[in-house]
Amino acid sequence: MKDAGARPEAMQLTQLQRWFQTVVTHAEGVEAGACSEEAQRLIQLAPGELERVITRSRALTAAERLAIYANAYHTRLLECLGEVFPMLKRTLGEDGFDGLAFGYLQEYPSRSYTLNELGRHFPQYLEQSRPAPEDAQSAVFDPSAPEDAAKLQEWNERSPPPQPSPPGERETPMENWPDFLIDLARLEWAIYEVFDGPGIEGRDPLAANQLLAIPPERWEGAKLAPVVCLQLLATRFPVNDYYTALRRAKAADAVPIIPSAEESFVALTRRNFVVRRYNLSRVEFELLRALQADHPIGEAIASIAPAPGIEFDQLAAQLQLWFRNWTAEGFFQSVSIDPSNEGERI
Amino acid sequence: MRVEKRLGYPHLGLGVGLRTVHFDYILENHPSVDWFEIISENFMDSRGRPRHILNQIAERYPVVMHGVSLSIGSTDPLNFEYLGKLKALAREIHPHWISDHVCWTGVAGRNTHDLLPMPLTDASLKHVVERIRTLQDFLERPFVLENPSTYVGFTGSTLSEWEFIARMAEEADCGLLLDVNNVYVSSVNHDFDPEEFIRSVPHERVVQFHLAGHTNCRTHLIDTHDNHVVDPVWKLYRLAHQLTGGVSTLLEWDARIPPFPVLHAEVLKAKRHIGEGLADTAISAGDPEPDGASVSEGEIAGWVEEEHAVPHPLHHVAAVVE
Repeated sequence: MKDAGARPEAMQLTQLQRWFQTVVTHAEGVEAGACSEEAQRLIQLAPGELERVITRSRALTAAERLAIYANAYHTRLLECLGEVFPMLKRTLGEDGFDGLAFGYLQEYPSRSYTLNELGRHFPQYLEQSRPAPEDAQSAVFDPSAPEDAAKLQEWNERSPPPQPSPPGERETPMENWPDFLIDLARLEWAIYEVFDGPGIEGRDPLAANQLLAIPPERWEGAKLAPVVCLQLLATRFPVNDYYTALRRAKAADAVPIIPSAEESFVALTRRNFVVRRYNLSRVEFELLRALQADHPIGEAIASIAPAPGIEFDQLAAQLQLWFRNWTAEGFFQSVSIDPSNEGERI
Repeated sequence: MRVEKRLGYPHLGLGVGLRTVHFDYILENHPSVDWFEIISENFMDSRGRPRHILNQIAERYPVVMHGVSLSIGSTDPLNFEYLGKLKALAREIHPHWISDHVCWTGVAGRNTHDLLPMPLTDASLKHVVERIRTLQDFLERPFVLENPSTYVGFTGSTLSEWEFIARMAEEADCGLLLDVNNVYVSSVNHDFDPEEFIRSVPHERVVQFHLAGHTNCRTHLIDTHDNHVVDPVWKLYRLAHQLTGGVSTLLEWDARIPPFPVLHAEVLKAKRHIGEGLADTAISAGDPEPDGASVSEGEIAGWVEEEHAVPHPLHHVAAVVE
């Protein structure tokens, strides 16, 4: 030991704690952790010298005792991530999920007092570490197949997946399968946030008759305030439908076939403390997004009106239907009929 | 046997840890449990269902806040954002006291979410005592600290755990949550006499007991909170009860959680051990010594699953989605 006169009892608490944490959180186990540059900088130990710092018990060596903490660290946090991303875990299988989650914990160890934050950067990590798109193109992806489990393993190791195997029973080749997994993770994180974030329980959302009470001439300048728990998500795959199908499948059932890529949109909100999910069209999504960005209704509609394939008359009928549905589902908190007077809300 | 100071905190009776899987049962049936202990971190940021349910439970039952992220022993600065939220939650749900563990959970800005062991030295004792004083000044109430289960010892340690705990409580003027199962688990893991531990802590400062099940891995025990309380722990509990005059008792069950009535029945077993006479013969059948001489089904399950045994499993709230 190079520090503090090489006497363990004189070791500074800071030094000891940093060393301990480095050793028990190391990806390759406590022996490798103790040999790591960081640990050696704190307490210089030759291989097999752990018992200069940690006592052995009658039955266990110092390394075996430290391994209890190392095992607990990874097991506990992987389990927690699995609870935040349950459908991703079912899709990938336990080993596939744990492989990615393990890599994530190395890159993004918890820095919060609460486990609620543990999964926040997981979708971002998947995006950063994903195989390059050209390597994933046309891949047929089946997480239960050994070759695709290997691809996941390689993803975790930051190398591109192997060339796709010929399609088996699946008829439609998967394109950009990592995008599907990333989108599913994004959906699950959004659900998690909506579940325990701010909501409107105890307050009434905007009712349809309140919307109808707006004088027609003031409709264009009115602003609709979405409820605080409304989240909008655009995805590259129909992950919301997949989520529904997987929820319906019993634990013992096979995981549903992963859908083909298709631009999809979903709204999440919460009523009576339960998260609700709604599929949207692109135009609905854009309109709601404009309203969420505090644009007056007129401007928000104008922003979607030039959308190709939408006739004005058709749009007018659609708008009526959408606003009726959204109001019925409690998407809006209030309407401000005069933007110059924020206090005047219905 | 009358030692009743407990920092002036009340004797709440026999309670259980509040867990998500029991939310609906509790709200529908209002079981006659004496009190609940909550995991502070599961509610301090909640603006959804967990907090909504806690508010209803706190209106009907006495509640105590038990944290896992204070990290009183860490050399990182105390996290005052966290402490502010802890204080705010206490202001709103009126717990009888707030507790956490004699441990550290991370350093260098990281959180391992584990209860990591302190080296038992004068220097780390001084460090912890100073931080408890700061904490109590901030929270404006006496704090209560629990002895954790530990799995390693440090060659640099110069104090026994009970010396450390006793001096800490006296010097910081704080309360103790005596986890009887943790005393037992650590006594096996570190080869000390658990009764000496129980006899040596300042009994008038013991505010609460914890009881729980653990997993016997043959070479060591792991505090898994996933099983019935075993007889050696009940025996220590009887001793602790005698020495303290009796304090609030709480059963923790965090993995393989049984239906609420089973959980409640488990803590009610304490009545047999603290009843008149405190006879050794009052021990129930089926929760025997974990040394293999007489192994219950629960212990066998623990052996089978020892590879998956996780110390102090953390209770995490899963989303409810339609």
